[in-house]
Amino acid sequence: MTEEIGINQLKRRDFLQAGLVFGAGAAGLAAGYASVPDAFARAVYAAKSNGVTNNSVLVMIQLAGGNDGLRTVIPLQDPKLHDLRPKLAALSVDQALPLDADFGLNQNLKGIKALWDQGRVAIVQGVGYPNPTFSHFESIRIWETGDPTRRQIDGWLGRTLAQSYDSFGHPLTGCACGATDVPGALRDLQATLTVINNQKTFGFNGGNQVEAAVGALYKATPGIYGALFDTAMATAQDSIAKLKTSQASYQAMADYSDTQKLIYSSKNQLAAALQLASELIVTGTGVKLLHVTLGGFDTHYTELNRHDDLMSYVDSAVSAFYKDLSAHGKADNVLIATWSEFGRRPKENASGGTDHGAAAPLILIGNPLKGGMYGKAPALTDLDATNNLKYQVDFRSVYQEILGGHLGADPKEILGAAYDKLGFIKNPVGSF
Amino acid sequence: MSIVGSIDEPSPPAESAKSPISRRTVLGAAVAGGAGIAALRVLVYPRVEQLLHSTRATAAGRSDWISPLASERAKVAHLLRRTSFGATLEELDRAASDGYSKTVDRLLETRPAAPPPLDPTNDFAHDRRLNVTMLQQWWLDHMLSTSTPFAERMTLFWHGHFTSDFRKVGLQTPYIYWQNLTWRDMALTDLRSMLMRVTSDPAMLRYLDLGTSTGQNPNENYARELLELFALGVGHYGEDDVRAAARALAGWTEPRPTGTVDVTVDAKNNVVRKYPVYDQPATGTFVANRAYKGGPLTFLGKKDTYDAQKVIDRILAQPATAPFIAQKVAQHFVSAKVGGSYVKRLADKFRSSKYDVKTLVREVLMSPEFVADQSYRALVKSPTEFMVHSLKALKAPQLSRLALLSAPGMGQVLFDPPDVGGWPNNEAWISSNNVVARVNFVTTALGQLKTLPQGTEAPQHIDGVVGPQTAGVLNSAADDHARWFLALASPEFQLK
Repeated sequence: MTEEIGINQLKRRDFLQAGLVFGAGAAGLAAGYASVPDAFARAVYAAKSNGVTNNSVLVMIQLAGGNDGLRTVIPLQDPKLHDLRPKLAALSVDQALPLDADFGLNQNLKGIKALWDQGRVAIVQGVGYPNPTFSHFESIRIWETGDPTRRQIDGWLGRTLAQSYDSFGHPLTGCACGATDVPGALRDLQATLTVINNQKTFGFNGGNQVEAAVGALYKATPGIYGALFDTAMATAQDSIAKLKTSQASYQAMADYSDTQKLIYSSKNQLAAALQLASELIVTGTGVKLLHVTLGGFDTHYTELNRHDDLMSYVDSAVSAFYKDLSAHGKADNVLIATWSEFGRRPKENASGGTDHGAAAPLILIGNPLKGGMYGKAPALTDLDATNNLKYQVDFRSVYQEILGGHLGADPKEILGAAYDKLGFIKNPVGSF
Repeated sequence: MSIVGSIDEPSPPAESAKSPISRRTVLGAAVAGGAGIAALRVLVYPRVEQLLHSTRATAAGRSDWISPLASERAKVAHLLRRTSFGATLEELDRAASDGYSKTVDRLLETRPAAPPPLDPTNDFAHDRRLNVTMLQQWWLDHMLSTSTPFAERMTLFWHGHFTSDFRKVGLQTPYIYWQNLTWRDMALTDLRSMLMRVTSDPAMLRYLDLGTSTGQNPNENYARELLELFALGVGHYGEDDVRAAARALAGWTEPRPTGTVDVTVDAKNNVVRKYPVYDQPATGTFVANRAYKGGPLTFLGKKDTYDAQKVIDRILAQPATAPFIAQKVAQHFVSAKVGGSYVKRLADKFRSSKYDVKTLVREVLMSPEFVADQSYRALVKSPTEFMVHSLKALKAPQLSRLALLSAPGMGQVLFDPPDVGGWPNNEAWISSNNVVARVNFVTTALGQLKTLPQGTEAPQHIDGVVGPQTAGVLNSAADDHARWFLALASPEFQLK
């Protein structure tokens, strides 16, 4: 993977010296990017000479809605599970794919189980944070910002982009695939980001004339959203130019077809989004931090079928992605990590589903990993005051190791503190 | 397509009589704007007049629009942009001659035009299933043709607030269609009755699972979102309140169908299913033996024997409820940033009107904040607003299908919000993906039209207030096609 030189040679540092940056600061951010300074209105990508220089790539998969950990990594021996979940437990346990004596994967995670057998999967049990909130939106924000105190506004990946990559000289360093807006994890006023919903439609109908005209329209746009408009358009144009050169040399080496026709959420293009991610990685566009989302995990009702379908969908998409990367010789560089805002209530409800919960296992996949179990599964017999699982591992321990061990960024700079070490990265590129 | 000629060659001057915004008005607006508003060039179509050059930087180093809102016509245009889906020039002319407050009265007091019945092939006679694409287009068509677009704006607002999606609600029943009719019907009524209608709405009973909850083993989904997203806001209740509400609300179930009909869902394998039939739209049914029977509950600090109505009344007794709704309405209509004292003023009025939404919206629209210079172009049009306004401006309601097909790529599909929080807003609509999708919509729409309205109309849809770049390219536009493209694709048109 070659690193690109900045499209223009301006460095973020130059703007800092010129005093142009962030008169608005956090207040501007709170206002919803209402005052992006001009210095960033032109997609100023500056290669950071002392930043990260390895080829590691991170792909975060958001399982939106709150994934049921107890139906993903299933306790096989715990009778309490059957007491709490008379409708949901038995089938899950009987059909589980055993990982060890105590835990099994959901029966539909067959591809991920095969990767587990090859030592390519790390499972961190009992991941959560203190004083959990049961609001989707609050908890999503906590995971996105890495801050349970809710003070931080920027996303943890956005901060990584800004602080350790500085967008590496091109707009695709951070990219949300299969989305229409910037996910909170990637958001940062100082980071340049691309959002591509569908690569087939990510281009200007009408060709160069249209592109030239909108290029002229979206410059020095006045008003509180002006810089955001200009940045979005400049980023789009640069990304489209880059994709034009990359599409010629990519051929998918796996079957990404979304044959399951999953209808539980509008955010259901996981396979297509991962194929786009693969293309960006394989063709050497220099992507570092990618984010994709699958919705539908808010399984308050008839969870048995729904959650199994979702597991199957994740499994086929992730398996195809891994196979494709391997076939292209890129799998050694790429770490795939799932995340979800919370797990679900151990006790099932009257609707054959489960309400919002707390701690849950988190699955990581890829060659950079030392496969196995990490953390500790919370006891079903020792629930908290809200009848939820007690977290055993702070989610920022996972972030810390991804940042330091895989990406080679400075986790302390990004997370603001140090957390317990887990050790799932096989050959850490940096300290954490 | 030739869009831009040389930027250095200005087009011939317009006859000033045709210009909706006179030089004097603009100067007046700039003066009225005060020190905080940096001046910009203003377009008086088709010629840029560089009226003021003192483009003093704002704190963030960026110039701002000169608000034209001192002019009555611009104020009315601002009102219609925010309470309708833009306006045709004829609608604007009529409203401008009525004046601002009379237009507010008309918006609030005109009975919503009922949408036409769904296409006969979509009325359950065919295969007893809703066709969601037809449902979406039915609503888009109505937005484009209705004489009361404000009712559609309010329906869309509540669709994003009390949200449900067709995926979970399903298409075997007309529930999601009924919900649209109910939200339109209740849009400007009082919050107390609205919350009861929301609680017993069949689509909502399914979307947030209250319909399958029981008092003995409650499903918390609806109770939590009622508190968090619908009425009170996070931080004003505890987990114990969620649990108590879930118990108290249990017992509401989906309406019983008046009958069933056998539908062959798979002819090859001769699979026949019984589909429910309803003679007319129905609301949920309360089934006492599914309700909570454990006696009094403590909810929001008060011990009582609760049912759904008492839960709602207890929520309405909270001081946080009126500001929560008032703020959401103000942020939707006025600005993403609304001051605490403004919200308090609106909330006090809302509460003292017994939570009358019409009173609240009137208060918002008549407030100085609504037409303040800082509110000018302070909101970003949602994809639906952008597309419907574009097609209205182009007098091309026949392109509703293009709007339907373009919606997913822009992030707003009707009856299909991304999650229970509804759609995001403002800056979320401005991503690299979305700016491309919006430009492509304009290109495709113009490509499908054989005739266009006069290109001189185009800048009026952006008040004739444009930035220097837009002014430059508009002035050098080669033809009407280019003028329409530039006006509708401009950043100015994306704002409201």
